[in-house]
Amino acid sequence: MRTPVLFLVALLALVPLAEAKKAPVAVKKLAPSAQAAVQAKEVSLVRVNVTGQPYDYFRPWQKKAPFSKRALGAVLPNDRVLVTADLVSNQNYVELERAESGEKTAANVVVVDYEANLALIEPTDKNFLKGLQPLELALDTVVGDRLAAWQLEATGALVVTEGIVTTIGITRYPADVADFLTYRLSIPMQYRDNSYTVPLVKNNKLAALLLRYDPRSQVLDAIPAPIIAHFLKDAAGQKYQGFPSLGISFFPTRDPQLRAYAGETSKASGVYITSVEPGLPAAKAGLQPGDIVTAVADHDIDQNGNYVDSLYGKLGFGNLLTAKAYVGDSVALHVLREGKPLTLNVKLEHRAESDYVVPPYNIDDPPSYYVLGGLIFQELTRQYLKEWGSNWEKDAPQDFVYLDKFQSELFPEGKRHVVILSQVLPANSTIGYDDFSYLVVKKVNDKEIHSLADLAEAVKTPLNGFDVIQTVDDPKQLELDAAQVAAEADALQKNYGLPALQRLE
Amino acid sequence: MHQFRFLLGALALFIVADAHAQPNGQIQSSLVRITSTEVEPDYRAPWNSGSIGRGVGAGFVIDGKRILTNAHVVSNSRYLTVEREGDPNKYPATVLFVAHDCDLALLQVAAPNFWKDMKPLSFGGIPPLESTVSAYGYPIGGERMSVTTGIVSRIDFSLYTHSAIDSHLAIQISAQINPGNSGGPVMQNAKVVGVAFQGYSGDIAQGVAYMIPTPVIRRFLKDIEDGHYDRYVDLGITYSKLQNPAQRHYLGLKDDDRGILVGTVLDAGPCGKLLQTGDVMLAVDGHPIASDAFVEFEGERVQMPEVVERKFKGDSVKLDLLRNKQPMSIDVTLGTVWPYFMQAHSYDIRPRYVVYGGLLFQPMSLDLLQAYRITDLRVRHFFDFFVTEQIYLQHPEVVILTNVLPDPINTYLLPYKYGIVDEINGKKIGTLQDLARAFEQPADRFVVKMVGDGPPLVLDPKQVNAARERIKTRYNVLQEENLDEQPPAKPAVADKDKI
Repeated sequence: MRTPVLFLVALLALVPLAEAKKAPVAVKKLAPSAQAAVQAKEVSLVRVNVTGQPYDYFRPWQKKAPFSKRALGAVLPNDRVLVTADLVSNQNYVELERAESGEKTAANVVVVDYEANLALIEPTDKNFLKGLQPLELALDTVVGDRLAAWQLEATGALVVTEGIVTTIGITRYPADVADFLTYRLSIPMQYRDNSYTVPLVKNNKLAALLLRYDPRSQVLDAIPAPIIAHFLKDAAGQKYQGFPSLGISFFPTRDPQLRAYAGETSKASGVYITSVEPGLPAAKAGLQPGDIVTAVADHDIDQNGNYVDSLYGKLGFGNLLTAKAYVGDSVALHVLREGKPLTLNVKLEHRAESDYVVPPYNIDDPPSYYVLGGLIFQELTRQYLKEWGSNWEKDAPQDFVYLDKFQSELFPEGKRHVVILSQVLPANSTIGYDDFSYLVVKKVNDKEIHSLADLAEAVKTPLNGFDVIQTVDDPKQLELDAAQVAAEADALQKNYGLPALQRLE
Repeated sequence: MHQFRFLLGALALFIVADAHAQPNGQIQSSLVRITSTEVEPDYRAPWNSGSIGRGVGAGFVIDGKRILTNAHVVSNSRYLTVEREGDPNKYPATVLFVAHDCDLALLQVAAPNFWKDMKPLSFGGIPPLESTVSAYGYPIGGERMSVTTGIVSRIDFSLYTHSAIDSHLAIQISAQINPGNSGGPVMQNAKVVGVAFQGYSGDIAQGVAYMIPTPVIRRFLKDIEDGHYDRYVDLGITYSKLQNPAQRHYLGLKDDDRGILVGTVLDAGPCGKLLQTGDVMLAVDGHPIASDAFVEFEGERVQMPEVVERKFKGDSVKLDLLRNKQPMSIDVTLGTVWPYFMQAHSYDIRPRYVVYGGLLFQPMSLDLLQAYRITDLRVRHFFDFFVTEQIYLQHPEVVILTNVLPDPINTYLLPYKYGIVDEINGKKIGTLQDLARAFEQPADRFVVKMVGDGPPLVLDPKQVNAARERIKTRYNVLQEENLDEQPPAKPAVADKDKI
């Protein structure tokens, strides 16, 4: 009896021990399957190394020193890699790097959309992405879902951080042109050197791409799959069109006084149109300031400007015209004008960056300039204003910031740019003008100046041998001796090391 | 508090009176210590009387039983007392004249006892560079009179910070002056050569002290001879140097380094109809203007406006011009240029405002923008370019919706805050008065259009009237509007014969 008892005890003792011993084995045994999962994930990511070299808008003939950015790209079907537009802005050289092997190849940017902050790149070596499992899109993310941020260790191992989607709404994207659908997550993510593009994944499908992250509050905004899908569908077509824009500003109709004034007597609904930009789709369709838009594409709009989305519930109606509509689509607007209902059909168009009076994001294109006897003329762009740094709205010349912010109000007809005399290079022909800078040019040689091309044309016909420049603010006028300017052009160019005295688009 | 206009540097030293009494005489029988109790208006609750504070400065007796001091020593004062050296009494004083644009004021004291043994000081000229001067006053560090010495460091145009927009001749001295020196005399050879008034001590520079020189003081004393201070006069133009040879040839000028180019001519200024953009000014009152805008004037090389500075309202100035290459002369009758005042600090006034439906409307001014710390780009633009882009022609006053006192009738109106009122029921609003009148008109609704593309603000007068008492009571709005900036009469005058 004794022995069996002992045996029993021993056996009892052995069982947990054996289990304890087995445990690491079990983990090891699990490892291959986990590795398989990691492998699967790993193959759908590549490192993207970008050398960016922005133009120097204070010295528009040159570029600034190059600098490197590292990020992760999401591998998509057809040997394409998705990254943010931010990453490839002002790129000189893009390179893909396999996470595990470190193998590299050069890559080209196929499509870039700075408004939606998305870009597609492809490797020059067609076989480079071979063996990598392309990511599919997860379009069904809703509030409360958990998404995983994928980042890579230096070894190539995957770092997965989970976060929860707290809000889905319409927010302004960095290009500051339009509002797009955005996921907001609460996520305790480590910010790494490759954080320019971080994919967010749901069930091994791509759900979103990082837009911005605040490590202090651990709030992350992401470009959601529906916007990515729109971008990809557009990019698959003949010519990339971009997201549509109506060209309106609106205001909620929460205030019953405002509704009554606008002729809306029934229920509270719709938005009050405060401005309609000439030449843009809404204006072409006949929308007017003072109209109340009550429905867009058969979705009722409430007094805050929201419609009821089948997936998300209440959402800003802008989503109906961005994520859910394409250039060329015709969208019906139900309008209340002085109390009478009418329907306007808007044919959607994209507003090109160059169509703005003060272009909002002329990235990649070299800035134009014109040097006349030491006077440097440029077109006013937001990229130029951003040279004053992250606080440019406070630090840049305030009349320029004002021109930018209120451009549609100040130049309702559009179709022009603002030419500025940005600075003066001291030379014989500009003696006494050294202190002038940041002046808006009105006329040159009696011709109205609405672009740098206008200026280049105007200086071909000096007035009695003088180039006469009229500015909006003091000194109001400057004159140059046209013959002296021509005679000294070479010396000026050499002296200041200018590769050319002009660059016009 | 005004005595802290001087940022604190090293403490001023007391110097044994004997050592300096000799060259400058018995300064004690001319110097006074001024204590002012002031009420600063509250722009954010303009119906309140404001916050009460106290400041100490200096002053000195001049001819005609008058005391000269800085305007900033007595600005916004509700009660003033002066004290003499060696006399325990405090004597009530009143302001005779105040000139905020050159930071000078004259006080009177009714009590005959005060004037016993007081000796008026007389004025000297502009002290030469490097000559020694002594500053007297009541700076922090003690109760009794203080004297410091230094030399004349620089004579130039400087900004007078009291108004924030006026620049006049000022003399920089190396004597230590500190809070409490304001209004005190700066002496040389027993004559007043300046009034200590502002300084700077900080990170960028230390111990920079300025005094108001006698030409500015004399001008003030002359201006008030007719019983009224008329302020400085101005041409109301902007101008640029003419140093570029090609520009000179284009304008038909000789190579004689003369002439400046007229830029903006303010319609509200004395040159409004007389000068044009693009005119070249060659001489002012016969003094040739150099191409860098300097003129030779009374033996000194001074900036062109100095010639005009010395003149008075109603005086005329002769300008020699070149217009379209043709020489011509014009006579300009000088006056003040009112649009500038909006950009200056104002004193001794009650803020103007209208409260309607819990909406607070106020005219734009430097003090208003500072009180609310408004950074709104459009408001800032209207402020900065009010004069040069002649915004004042459409908006003599820029009426801003500065606050919404929340109530059920205005609960949706907060987004309109800092809007600039453009129209009410189709009528242009150019002044606060216009706005007050517009809201008095019978109407079913008021549609207030703001400048820009925003939505209109709509008010129902019936609702507003029904809410009036409720809003007044809830926010303790003692008075719903103040359209008159005159301060209430000061009772101090009544004390004249008491002491």
